[in-house]
Amino acid sequence: MSIVEFKKVTKRFGQVTILDQVDLSIEAGEKVVLIGPSGSGKSTLLRCINALEEINGGDLVVDGISVKAGGRMVRMIRQEAGMVFQQFNLFPQMTALENVAFGPRRVRGESHQDARKQALDMLAKVGLADRAHHYPSELSGGQQQRVAIARALAVKPKLMLFDEPTSALDPELRHEVLRVMQALAEEGMSMIVVTHEMAFAREVGTRLIFMEGGKIAVDGEPRELLANPRNPRLKEFLQHVI
Amino acid sequence: MDFEWSVIWQALPELLKGARLTVLIALAGLAGGLMIGFAAGLARAYGNAVLNAIALAYIELIRGTPIIVQVMFIYFALPILANVRIYPLAAAIMAIIVNAGAYIAEIVRGSFLSVHRGLREAGLALGLPLWKVLLYIIGPLAFRRMIPALGNQFIVSLKDTSLFIVIGVGELTRQGQEIMAANFRAVEIWSAVAMFYLIMTGALTLILRMTEKRMRIL
Repeated sequence: MSIVEFKKVTKRFGQVTILDQVDLSIEAGEKVVLIGPSGSGKSTLLRCINALEEINGGDLVVDGISVKAGGRMVRMIRQEAGMVFQQFNLFPQMTALENVAFGPRRVRGESHQDARKQALDMLAKVGLADRAHHYPSELSGGQQQRVAIARALAVKPKLMLFDEPTSALDPELRHEVLRVMQALAEEGMSMIVVTHEMAFAREVGTRLIFMEGGKIAVDGEPRELLANPRNPRLKEFLQHVI
Repeated sequence: MDFEWSVIWQALPELLKGARLTVLIALAGLAGGLMIGFAAGLARAYGNAVLNAIALAYIELIRGTPIIVQVMFIYFALPILANVRIYPLAAAIMAIIVNAGAYIAEIVRGSFLSVHRGLREAGLALGLPLWKVLLYIIGPLAFRRMIPALGNQFIVSLKDTSLFIVIGVGELTRQGQEIMAANFRAVEIWSAVAMFYLIMTGALTLILRMTEKRMRIL
């Protein structure tokens, strides 16, 4: 069974159609890289998966649960699909450790002790064990984003959604985030990544999707598509981003 | 004229009694006002259409009428309408509750909505219900931003208790008025009454400053 299944999904903001009858199915273990010009609907597509955006038509099933099931079921989806945001969105009043322990404690309902222990493990995993007691404002952008990844992982999701995770970072800070993402991919985590990092798409991605005008224009093997883009719009797009 | 300090010493016990009542009305009124204010403010910010409409109607009704009319209504009109007996002290406390509640509601709404939207999404994305996101993430941040505005409202409400002279509650201003009516020492008595208010609002300001210092605005 697919972990994510779009069935003729339509999403509109007012009069504007952002996703136009999208069909897409993603299997567990895939590392999908979503690219496309701004306004093509790639972020919206990602945000529909964990129901941060409500879909207007069709159906979208994540790990066997429809995003239209509402309330408690939508929260189940969100626990299975961790999200990392472009702007990190760490909780500023909490230390790195408290940010990461928050999910296990308040979502999974674990004891304070257990949550802390898991959070420390997660922070070690993203290479930030020594920053556990720093507040987000005391961390660099790259460190903040790694804490954000640890925070999402601490809830033990089956799938990770990355919404332009390196776009707000200086070029020299990007690689530390990308390295963590690559390690995660190598562990077998299912991932959907909206990004402009073509090297990451080539090295880590198992599938590349190019979106345009709310539709999936190209869907295929990353190395092949990046080396030889036959779709003229994709070709033009790649010339702009690389 | 001579400023007779002895007049103030003699009036002190009565004025203190009045001040105590002023503090009681303000504290009880603001405690209730905070509860109503949070409920109405959150209903405005996050409630469905019905809750939103109820909260909006309440806020506009209270902000659109003078507090003195509100207390007159509670003390004189409500007993007729609801066929109940309302004591002056209860009417005074109720007036502060409904009045402060409306202003606090707007403070609460504004500060919750001022917290970056991404934090709410981050909380929801972890799989929390909205109320937990508000309680654990947005609330603590919003609270820090509320403190200066809440401080204003606390001071305004504290001083508004002086209006309850009109329904015969023996608070500070009323006590001053009664002493003055007996000894005609307007300068001494009203100076003393003013000092009492200054001490109370000063203490309040100090407490708020200290709270604010301990909580960085993030």
